[in-house]
Amino acid sequence: MKFYSCLLLTLSLAAGRLPGAADIPALWAERVKSVVAVEFYVETETDRQPGLSYGTVVDNNGTIILPSAAVDPRVSPDQLKDFKVHLAGETASVPGRYLGQDNLTGWHFVRVDAKLVPGLTPITAFAAKDGASAPGPALAEEVWGIGLRNKDEDFIPYIMVARIGLLQSLPQRSAIALHEIAAPGLPVFNRDGVLLGLATSSFGQSYLQFSRPDRGGSPVILVNVEESSVFHLAEEVLPYLGRVPKNVSGRPLAWLGAYGLEPVDPEVAQFMKLDSQGAVVISEVLEGSPAEKAGLKDRDIIVALDGRPLPRLKPGSVVVSYIDRELAKRVPGDLLAVTVMRGTERSEVKVELGDEPKLIREAGRKYFDRLGLTVREFVYGDAVALRVKSGESTGVVAHFVKPNSPVAIAGLHADDWIKEIDGVEVKTFDVAVNKLAAIESDRDRSEFVILASRGGETAVLRVKLK
Amino acid sequence: MNLSSSRSIFALGLGLLCLQVPLRAAVSRGFNQLLDSVVRIDVREVTFEEGSRRFSAGIGSGVILSADGLILTNAHVASPRAVEINITLASLEVVGAKLIGWDHWTDLALLRLNLDEVQRRGLKFTHAELGNSDKLLAGDTVFAVGTPYGLTRTVTRGIISNTSRPFEDLTGVDGYETGSFNTWLQTDAAINPGNSGGPLVTEDGKIVGINSRGYIGADNLAFAIPSSTAQRIVEGLVRNGAVTRSYVGLRPGPLRDLEGFYALALNIGVLINSVDPGSPAARAGLRGGDILLAINGQKVDGRFPEQLPPIQNLIANQPVGSALKLSVKRGTDTRDYTVVTEKLESRVGEEWALEKWGLSVRKVSRSYARENQLSDDTGVLVIGVQPGFPADVAGLSRGDVIMKINQQPVGSLVVMKAAYAEYEAKPAPTLLEALRSRRVSLYILKP
Repeated sequence: MKFYSCLLLTLSLAAGRLPGAADIPALWAERVKSVVAVEFYVETETDRQPGLSYGTVVDNNGTIILPSAAVDPRVSPDQLKDFKVHLAGETASVPGRYLGQDNLTGWHFVRVDAKLVPGLTPITAFAAKDGASAPGPALAEEVWGIGLRNKDEDFIPYIMVARIGLLQSLPQRSAIALHEIAAPGLPVFNRDGVLLGLATSSFGQSYLQFSRPDRGGSPVILVNVEESSVFHLAEEVLPYLGRVPKNVSGRPLAWLGAYGLEPVDPEVAQFMKLDSQGAVVISEVLEGSPAEKAGLKDRDIIVALDGRPLPRLKPGSVVVSYIDRELAKRVPGDLLAVTVMRGTERSEVKVELGDEPKLIREAGRKYFDRLGLTVREFVYGDAVALRVKSGESTGVVAHFVKPNSPVAIAGLHADDWIKEIDGVEVKTFDVAVNKLAAIESDRDRSEFVILASRGGETAVLRVKLK
Repeated sequence: MNLSSSRSIFALGLGLLCLQVPLRAAVSRGFNQLLDSVVRIDVREVTFEEGSRRFSAGIGSGVILSADGLILTNAHVASPRAVEINITLASLEVVGAKLIGWDHWTDLALLRLNLDEVQRRGLKFTHAELGNSDKLLAGDTVFAVGTPYGLTRTVTRGIISNTSRPFEDLTGVDGYETGSFNTWLQTDAAINPGNSGGPLVTEDGKIVGINSRGYIGADNLAFAIPSSTAQRIVEGLVRNGAVTRSYVGLRPGPLRDLEGFYALALNIGVLINSVDPGSPAARAGLRGGDILLAINGQKVDGRFPEQLPPIQNLIANQPVGSALKLSVKRGTDTRDYTVVTEKLESRVGEEWALEKWGLSVRKVSRSYARENQLSDDTGVLVIGVQPGFPADVAGLSRGDVIMKINQQPVGSLVVMKAAYAEYEAKPAPTLLEALRSRRVSLYILKP
């Protein structure tokens, strides 16, 4: 017993005296097998945009997670094509398959072809032995992470080292290093090679540019998109690695139907005697939503979920993400107790969460090349944005308008709401598609007429085809 | 540097003028009398920008219309915001004047000279006459008289370039709408800032237009309100101090060559591009894409943009609250709709500054509410905040719509003013609820 404690003391002294003792190059060589570069294309009506992201290997099946910013949220999953995965420092790539986006973490999941799997090491291999309960990094601790160079340099991995400057809940527990510490989506380790977390998208740094000609110009915000100084701690990463989407749409998605959540600012909270916690105003309760059915009202102030007061987070806007995450952790059918302040009255409302209505990225689309137009199914989100009752909503949305095409020349813009075609109300997406297909294939047609609505005002547009 | 270069241009300009053979001006008796009736107008007006009450000064032109001292000018020269109006007569004597009324839709305002002062000081003035702008032809010679850049009594010459130019601007007169109910005269007579409100006249000195605007940076593309429009507006302003118009909520568009598509005879019908949500026309069941064939049995023809302002004017001229029979074609059906008109309102509501809060506000009007898809006209729009003052510190900014103050719905400016008076008497934290693009936030104004 005595002997052991003596040994422990010696070890800790050694660690204290020789901070460089860990064999970083050896740790590095093992850990770069957990990171990959992922290339893909976003296919639109008229072109293919290349995309590039860095990913981390999460299991022995070749599953890779990419940060949420890897894909533009407006892109529909079926527009994502040709995923290719490169090992760090390798020219050759193998195909990958897109599995979808997880609603809670925002991660995009990709699975790599089996033949690459033996060359990969899941990041879990470097997790602290006691998993999620491992202590996080300490303030001022020196940590290191991995970055990857660009394709012209075969995605060579390189190391970044920095000290922790701030630990914060955003609302996930996050560490902010004093400068860039890893490429977004790639891991950060301590000196013993234990996983500390995954880097998120970068923060902007403000610089005042003194050479600018305008007096008193505001600072320039520069964002390094290839490297980040912020990472989510391992406790926010490891428990969620198994959330592989069951389908590319990421469903099931729980739905509350409270629109425009706005944090209550600390001074107002103090005025309302809510200063020890967070609070959020519901701008609008959406029509037909679970929130409406449960009796929530516009302007209700949410103060607690399932009896737990909302935390007071900094900055205040983070509490909205906190609520979004609480919803994302649940599934349709779950009961959620929402405590609200209405005027000075406090009450608890039990909401049975619903199934999120069809999202824009899931809406039906059809492209008509000769007309120069993609029409998209009108979904619940459109009714909300346009302030129409979802029952009354007909028509389709101009999802894409090809520049200089007949519809563009007629004055149609992307996101215009097409209500009539040739003077006839467009009741459904299929009706619109059939009508436009007939117009497109009729080579004798010289023109057709669209009634489009933009910003609450309609206009009759005459589309000349000849 | 700038100053010296502009001076040299000025000198060069003068030099050129000296070389030119002097042109013979039209020197009819009427023209001389007209010259003597043109005045310079100096206006001091209050603004409610950036959270405080401020004053600004401007110079314009005007023309005396009657022996009892009525002066016609532009609405953007003299508006209800004016707190002091001074008139420089042809004799160069300065006299005060009062606003009788304004009509921003046609950019016209009517003033009256302080006749007591005129009499007391023994001042003399002459007046000019309105001519008939309907008889003008493109190419007719016209003169513009006014005060460009403060250069009192400047005469420039040009021709009528176009007799009916359609030109609508939703914020054209200090943020107020203009041009929906009249077409404009276009002239190449040089018109510069300060010419505004001055007359456009024929060689015999008859007023055919009131100079109003020009394209900045373009050469000699200027616009004047035709005297035929001015005549009607002057009568309305003299009688009621305002021109009241009817509104139904139709937004017409030119039909051009869509007759074939709508199966219409040539030269009949107005395309209804849009119907304002919640307007009388919308409530009656009209919608975008309909074709308006007749108003109270009178056929309308809106094939070209030039034809639309008179049609809008036809509706506007109906008494408020009158039932219009609109014959409308939709698809193959033609039927009559009865639409009861409302009073036309500007989108710009009353403005005020709550100075200790550093907050300037404007009442949300019905048409602002419609444009911005607000559920009704409750609330006041923030039009300015003063940095460092309570409203700014609380986080309010321009464009926010204040819906409640201390839990009271803000149905009118009176509610705001009352809460402000309470605060002035006894400063205490004041709770505001405001909308910013549909999102609700709460703010505290702290002493």
